[in-house]
Amino acid sequence: MSAFRKTGRGRVDASKVINFTFDGKSYQGVQGDTVASALLANGNHLMGRSFKYHRPRGVLGAGWEEPNALIAVDRGKGRVTPNVRATTQEIYEGLKAESQNRSPNLKFDMGAFNNAFSMFFPAGFYNKTFMWPKSFWDKVYEPFIRNMAGLGPAPDADDPDVYASVYGHCETLIIGAGPAGIAAALAAAKNGERIILVDENAQMGGSLLSTPSIEIDGKPAGKWLETSLKALAKAENVTLMTRTTATGYYHDNFVALAERITHHVPNAEIGKVREALHRIRAGKVILAQGGIERPLVFNGNDRPGVMLASAAQTYLGEYGVAVGNEVAVFTSHDSAYQAAFDVADANTRIAAIIDVRGTIRDDLIMGATERGIKVIKSAAITKTFGKLRVKACEVYEPESGNKTKLNCDAILMSGGWTPSLHLWSHSKGGIKWDADLAAYIPDAPNENAVCIGACNGDFGIAAALSAGHKAGGGRKTYKTNETDFGTGLVLSSLPSYLDSSKQKAFVDFQNDVTEKDIKLAVSEGFKSIEHVKRYTTNGMATDQGKTSNLNALEIASKAVGKPIEKVGLTTFRPPYTPTTFGTFTGYRDNELFDPTRKTPIDPWAEANGAAFEPVGHWRRAWYFPKEGEDMHAAVARECKATRDSLGIFDASTLGKIEVVGPDAAKFMNLMYTNPWSKLPVLGCRYGLMCREDGYIYDDGVVGRMAEDRFHVTTTTGGAPRVYRHMEDYLQTEFPELDVWLTSTTEQWAVIAINGPNARKLIEPFVEGIDLSADSFPHMTLREGKICGVPTRLFRVSFTGELGFEINVPAHYGRMVWETLFEEGQKYDICPYGTETMHVLRAEKGFIIVGQDTDGTVTAHDAGMSWAVSKKKRDFVGKRSLARPDLVAEGRKQLIGLLTEDSKEVLEEGAQIVEDPNQPIPMDMLGHVTSSYWSESLGRSIAMAVVRDGFNRMGETLNIPMPDKVIKAKVVKPVFYDPKGERLNVV
Amino acid sequence: MLFDQAIDIPECLNAEALTVSLMGEKARYSLRLKSADVSAIKKASGLKLPAKIMGASHGKDVTCAKLGPDEWIVIADPVQKPKLDKALAKVSKDFTCSVTDISHRNVGFGITGADAAKLINVGCPLDLSLEKFPVGKAVRTLFESASILLIRTDEQSFHMECWRSFGPYLRDFFARVVTTR
Amino acid sequence: MFEIHCPYCNEKRPEIEFAYAGEAHYVRPTAKEQSEMSDEDWSRYMFIRDNKRGEHAERWWHNAGCNMFFNAIRNTVTDKFVMTYKMGLPPRTDKQIDAARRTDAKEKASS
Repeated sequence: MSAFRKTGRGRVDASKVINFTFDGKSYQGVQGDTVASALLANGNHLMGRSFKYHRPRGVLGAGWEEPNALIAVDRGKGRVTPNVRATTQEIYEGLKAESQNRSPNLKFDMGAFNNAFSMFFPAGFYNKTFMWPKSFWDKVYEPFIRNMAGLGPAPDADDPDVYASVYGHCETLIIGAGPAGIAAALAAAKNGERIILVDENAQMGGSLLSTPSIEIDGKPAGKWLETSLKALAKAENVTLMTRTTATGYYHDNFVALAERITHHVPNAEIGKVREALHRIRAGKVILAQGGIERPLVFNGNDRPGVMLASAAQTYLGEYGVAVGNEVAVFTSHDSAYQAAFDVADANTRIAAIIDVRGTIRDDLIMGATERGIKVIKSAAITKTFGKLRVKACEVYEPESGNKTKLNCDAILMSGGWTPSLHLWSHSKGGIKWDADLAAYIPDAPNENAVCIGACNGDFGIAAALSAGHKAGGGRKTYKTNETDFGTGLVLSSLPSYLDSSKQKAFVDFQNDVTEKDIKLAVSEGFKSIEHVKRYTTNGMATDQGKTSNLNALEIASKAVGKPIEKVGLTTFRPPYTPTTFGTFTGYRDNELFDPTRKTPIDPWAEANGAAFEPVGHWRRAWYFPKEGEDMHAAVARECKATRDSLGIFDASTLGKIEVVGPDAAKFMNLMYTNPWSKLPVLGCRYGLMCREDGYIYDDGVVGRMAEDRFHVTTTTGGAPRVYRHMEDYLQTEFPELDVWLTSTTEQWAVIAINGPNARKLIEPFVEGIDLSADSFPHMTLREGKICGVPTRLFRVSFTGELGFEINVPAHYGRMVWETLFEEGQKYDICPYGTETMHVLRAEKGFIIVGQDTDGTVTAHDAGMSWAVSKKKRDFVGKRSLARPDLVAEGRKQLIGLLTEDSKEVLEEGAQIVEDPNQPIPMDMLGHVTSSYWSESLGRSIAMAVVRDGFNRMGETLNIPMPDKVIKAKVVKPVFYDPKGERLNVV
Repeated sequence: MLFDQAIDIPECLNAEALTVSLMGEKARYSLRLKSADVSAIKKASGLKLPAKIMGASHGKDVTCAKLGPDEWIVIADPVQKPKLDKALAKVSKDFTCSVTDISHRNVGFGITGADAAKLINVGCPLDLSLEKFPVGKAVRTLFESASILLIRTDEQSFHMECWRSFGPYLRDFFARVVTTR
Repeated sequence: MFEIHCPYCNEKRPEIEFAYAGEAHYVRPTAKEQSEMSDEDWSRYMFIRDNKRGEHAERWWHNAGCNMFFNAIRNTVTDKFVMTYKMGLPPRTDKQIDAARRTDAKEKASS
């Protein structure tokens, strides 16, 4: 048992010893300890180095507000968690903890030279110093800042752990299981509705955990707590969640709870959930987050050993740990006296209570006298001594001018209390200034929510319990024997004889912001508290200003010369405490990050060695390399095989929409630029869709199944937006039309068969359709059977060859594909992927929406005026096509390009100019949209949008590249079989 | 193999408190009807089309659910298909409406057991308590990135459908949840 | 994440089931009107929106739910929905918006 562990105190199990290491050194703690409490039990206060000045730091608090004692927990490769508060990390056998932001070690830190030169690091230091020369940023400043101002280590490997995310619902969500939260749950549990009670700590109880001897309704608090939690655990409608932090409070009572499942477990198994994000929708939210004690801002208030009075009380009451042998108490609030008494009653010497105030409550003076504690009124600590741990302080009495050096190995301070408004603030609840508390407290709610207990400004256990019971719908008034919580005095500036420029009085411990910095910011003209915050970085560290915001506000308001309530509070933002990316990700990593949609034929492609490419959510077969082939070789072979004999292609990803109803043709007339009324049943037509702005939005072949039924196809990536576009117009602009839309993309597997032997291949498998060229011409469709299953068979071609698109119900797709592929061996059938599809269509000059168009290309620009009806009175986009800009001469137009060197394949996206020798920036005429090697033509081909392109036929243009300039001739964008004779295979 | 949904259910999804099964072949139709015609169409087709949005009638061979103000889905055992094809062709002819065969568009999962609602709530944001989501309720909603159709068929059983290419995503999600808990 | 009341489902559903679809009550001119419209007027219809600060009439789509478009009054300062109503209904009057706000407040108070 270590010297600082007090037998009989705390809730830890002293009989269960736990071994852990801190910076490689072995320590022993006991079951129930945090890293901080265990280190303190070993007499070790030094736990970290500060962010900017690398000053040695110990714990300031005992919980989630802790700004100083940040550690990295090392569980092996990829499993190092940085910036964990030592005050909240429970120890377990074998825990490996490391301090941060120090080099080479915590006791001797090279970075501490920043401290010696701190006069060069005032507020706004980064903004002022790292301005120029500009070239220094990458090489000097940024590496310097990154090196010096680091917190924990960044991960160096994939995180192998598993995280979860779930949705949940309840009528009442209670956040914080201190006396207020527990009383609320007890009352609310009675009505049978679903209640969730969460607490961030391992044990529920809040302040009751460190004050077990206080009596609630005549029962010891410890006993009351045990009975209450047992009753709640038994109630079926109550869910109790410990080690769970409410990190964010969003609209309509949507609250994110981050649960740490195995953070306290030794050798937690990889592959089991480590943290879970609970996304809770609550009818009502009861916030019982408690309050946080405020530090006093005095010179040297950051020396290890200086901490909040309530923290010392918690270390003693909850962990049975004394924070020192001889403790000075420095306060401006009554509550520190009870802390001092608790510490004294555990046989720790109190060097003195130094109170800023001149008048002190009689019962407190009496309590001190009884314990032989000296109280120095109207005094302040003006200096602290000691290098890595405080060993003395200087007490200054302004009235007499006396300065006394007082030996102590710890200083407990209390500057009053701040209600914890973080989640209330997330919910956009109103706040108001409470002059008595010198703090902001909740005002009108913005959601169905209520704050109770200390976070509502009602301090003390009895007050919390009664407020809790009321919030839960009960009426009970609780009685306790606690000392009156009392009041305090808030001072922006403590008495000191030292010039303020000589002092290091910290406000924000984590970001190293001092009183001086805040005053400097104000004197430099930053009057808004939001500007002061950003300029000084006060409250912007991972602790979100939990201990610093009110002090900073107090100092700033004095410096600005405005009352504090006029200065306003800065906004708290989620997350309440640092939350891992794992928690936010939940299950959604790797294969669950986003769905990968695969066609029914995809397994065949995978088994046959396809290379894949993503297209939207889909993965599509890109090309089918044979052994030793690269993409270029594979695509050249696939193109040739298709043009020579037969290619088979999986087009299942094409979007499909069934447009049905007596007004179907009318609706199609409005949605597409083409005319549809005269398209005969079983006819097909290429459809071009505009948005109302007149630009090309999508395209695809449409088949008319019946007078009142169209089978519409869209581009693969365009399916969702086209469906939305159509639904929008149908529901909101044309609701009088009797027509309905059904997405059928996934109903059909689509197998495209192209090549001179296409008809021969399918003939033996087709029933009920006459395939002869005369009775089944190009751009028509038939219904019948193929391979024994129903089909919608389209005779269409996106390659220029004789082609069929075989639509079959999706779950028969693979069977039909495999049957045709087997039969196709007779014709050297070649499976091809999207790359070959692109080459074959480019050879024919067919556009790809989104590749050859970019949302600023009209049908006319694309050379497709033929697809725009001149006769229709109305279609979406018609009026815009008459806008002056869209009918202007010289717009960018789609043309073909043939490079002078036929072997040269242009880069897609390359810019095109007239004169390559003009000065930079050059006048760009346009850019290359599609470019390929055409095996069939034995040369390269390209499409491009070029200013006034239609009038440039035969011109030679230049494409400047980093190493050369490529010359290319403007041609019509149809490179292969311009007359379309290859479709007519008999 | 003729009919192939290309989804295999791993062993881990066959436990006592939770069983996920892949439904076999089904006949499915999307019906878009004018409200004035619904009762006549019910009579003509024999389909128990629910009158209320988000309602479902869950029979032995045929399930009907109303997903939108004028939209129903019919999910039936494939042996019913010839009969339904015929009946619905007649409806199509006699009424101003839309009937579309979507038999192969979806795949269906049966999710059963004490933990069924819990599993669905991993990715579905709706309140699945019996009070808010009683037996016979049917909605189109989301499971994370996948649009789903969800019908509660009894206290501990759900019928979930999605478009076929989202099936493996849901299956993988379910398997991850079960194997990592 | 909001809960949005869908006027067709007649229940509140999570925001992720919905998609925003622009400002409401901009009616597409008829073919005749379009043919008689000046380019300036057409541009105004196409591109210019109020983008009001405060209570804003806007269109939403219950795309992952009942698939219906509807209108909503939403406050662009607080982000909150005041009311939703079916597509095709005329713009809400101040009186109607006021009444909806009061009903909402009453519901909150009673829950």
